[in-house]
Amino acid sequence: MITFSRSKLVGVERLDENTLLAHGVLEDFIYAMELDVSVKQPDFEIVDIKGRMKRVTTPVCDQAIPKLQNAVGLRIPEDEFARKIHRVVGKEGCTHFANLLVECCDAIMQTAIYENIQQAPNKHDFLKEKTRSIPSLKESCVFYSKMAETTMGG
Amino acid sequence: MILTYSRNKYAATTDMSDGSLFVQTRVDDTVFSATMDMIVKPPLLEIISINGEILRACSEECQDAATLLQKAVGLQIGTGFIKTVNSLIGESYGCPRMADLVLEGCDQVILRFTVDPLRQILTKSAEELMDAHKMFVAGNPRLIGSCIAFSKESPLMAGVEL
Repeated sequence: MITFSRSKLVGVERLDENTLLAHGVLEDFIYAMELDVSVKQPDFEIVDIKGRMKRVTTPVCDQAIPKLQNAVGLRIPEDEFARKIHRVVGKEGCTHFANLLVECCDAIMQTAIYENIQQAPNKHDFLKEKTRSIPSLKESCVFYSKMAETTMGG
Repeated sequence: MILTYSRNKYAATTDMSDGSLFVQTRVDDTVFSATMDMIVKPPLLEIISINGEILRACSEECQDAATLLQKAVGLQIGTGFIKTVNSLIGESYGCPRMADLVLEGCDQVILRFTVDPLRQILTKSAEELMDAHKMFVAGNPRLIGSCIAFSKESPLMAGVEL
């Protein structure tokens, strides 16, 4: 028998040329909550957050909803972004909201990187260009680190 | 509006007959798809085995990243665990997506051990509920200051010795 499970579902849509909106849902044995997060490009600044708690454990938990606004103005590629979210939205509010917000923001960055890759004539060149337009990508993992090295080399 | 990107992430725990936990984590998004299974043994919450597979990624090179998971064998879920997993499996020389699957699974282990006491608490009457929460947090000092409900200012913390 399953003794605990958590599902997180995030969908990202492009509202306009510079705005991405993520809708995230978290549902587990204990908690259920939802977020809408809007982010502006090219800085990936969080400009709007709305949240809803559907199932929580204490009568105090819903006081965490206004703490979501602590994340407005933060930029996803900045140093220690996830750690900041876990402090200003998590520790000061709700750790599960923070968890879902980080998931939504990561999904937004993935959208910004891979959107339109299907239409690119050369996938490698497309991703190389992304390491130029999104500098934080260069040190994000072994694949992009190697790609950045070859880009600088050539 | 048609979605540009979607992500579905799932994690679950199963109790094994020897007291260990079997933990499964799955992620399936527009670009990336991967699985991670591990066995965690109480009371030290040590990862005694772990396996995973990358089913879809932006590059074929990424498929090799699943082997990085073996670095987590022997680790104990506790203080410094997030930093250790990120440095062994994630960051610029590894695969942050696989590190994330390990961390996601370990979150569920902690939550699995929280379900039973919470189930007991939530059966209490409104009058008994506050005291039940206070007893719970007193027995789980790691929760103190972890969120707004267990902050110094919270009514749930009134009378709880810090």
